[in-house]
Amino acid sequence: MFDVLDMGASGLQAQRTRMDTIAGNIVNANTTRNAQGQPIPYRRRFVLFAPGQAGSPDKPGVRVQEIKLDQSPFQKRHEPGHPDADADGYVKYPNIDLAMEYVNALEASRAYEANVTMMEVSKQMLSASLRLIA
Amino acid sequence: MFIERLLNQGNAPLLERTLEFTAARHKLIAENVVNVDTPGYQQKDMSLEKFQAMLRNRVEARRNAAPGAASFADIDGELENPERGILFHDGNNRSMEQLMSDQAKNALLHNMVVELLKKQYSAMENALRERVT
Amino acid sequence: MIDGANNNLSLGKLAGGGVTPAKTAGAGGAGASSFADVLKNQIDEVSRLQQDASKAVEDLATGQTENVTGVMTAMEKSDIAFKTLLAIRGKLMDAYDEIKNISV
Repeated sequence: MFDVLDMGASGLQAQRTRMDTIAGNIVNANTTRNAQGQPIPYRRRFVLFAPGQAGSPDKPGVRVQEIKLDQSPFQKRHEPGHPDADADGYVKYPNIDLAMEYVNALEASRAYEANVTMMEVSKQMLSASLRLIA
Repeated sequence: MFIERLLNQGNAPLLERTLEFTAARHKLIAENVVNVDTPGYQQKDMSLEKFQAMLRNRVEARRNAAPGAASFADIDGELENPERGILFHDGNNRSMEQLMSDQAKNALLHNMVVELLKKQYSAMENALRERVT
Repeated sequence: MIDGANNNLSLGKLAGGGVTPAKTAGAGGAGASSFADVLKNQIDEVSRLQQDASKAVEDLATGQTENVTGVMTAMEKSDIAFKTLLAIRGKLMDAYDEIKNISV
C-alpha cells in the first residue's frame, strides 16, 4: 500500500513543475528580448504530462514528459518609439494571455490540493489497518 | 484444520476480502487523481456493487454447502474503465468531484470494516483468555 | 431488530435472583426455577444476540443494508452480553474453587 504515497508524490511534483512554468510565463509576459539581448520575445511554455512515474514509467503515477514551447504567433503592438520596434513601428510581445495563465495557475493549485488530500487519506487508511493489531 | 475453521468462522473472511478490495480501489482512485491533467488517460475503477454481489452469491453457496467448504479467497474486484463523466478535449474523462466522493466513501468503508474485524478478533481473544479484559 | 429492552430485563432478573423470569416457567409453577435453567436460557440469549450481530455484519458487507448504526449497536450488544456471560462464568469457577478448598 505504500506505493500509493509514491504515486501521490509524483502528482505533487508534476503539478509543482506546472506551477513553476506558469509562474515563468506570468513573470515574462512583457519580455521583448531574449537572454542574449536580441529582439526575440519570450515564447510561452507549457508542460506535457504522461502517465508513469519519472524514472520508472511502468509504475502508476504521472510525470512531466516535456516542457514545450507554444508555437502560436507573437502579439504585435504598434509602438514606433520603442527600441525593439521593427521598420513598420510594430513591437513583438510574448504570446502570453495573463487571464489564461491565472486560470491555469488556479487549476494547478487545486490539483495540488487534491493530491495532498489523497495522501492524507492514504495515511489514515494505513493507520486504521495498523490498529487491527493494536 | 480446526484452527483454520475457527479463524474462518462467521464473517471474518467476508470482511478480509472487503479490506483487500478497498485497498486496491484506493490505489486506483489515487492514480486517477494523480493523472487528472494527463491527456488521453482513461479513468480506472472497480465496482463496489459487483464485488458485493459476488460476496452475496458466495454467502448463499456457503449456507448450502458443508461447513468450511466454501472459501472466499478467490473473490476479487475487477478492473474496469467507467464511461461516466464528460470526455474533455485532451481525451481524459476526469471528474474531480466524483473522484473525491468515491475516495471518501471508500476510506469510510475501509475504516468501518477494520473496526468490525477488530471487534470479532477481540471477542475470540476474550473467549480464549477466559477472563474479561 | 433485536429486542434490547427485553434482553436487559431478563439479565437484570438474573442478577436480582429470586423472581421467576417470564421465560422459564417451572414445571409445577412452584416459585423460582433453578439457577441452572436461568443460566441455560441466558446462554441461549447470548447465542441469539451473536447470531443477530453476525447476520447484521453479513448484510452490511454484502451491501444489503445501509444501516451502519444498527450494525454497530448489534455488535456492541452481543459483545457486552458475551462479556457478561464470561464474567458470570469466572465468578462461578472462583466460587467452585473456594468450595473445593473448604477443609472438612
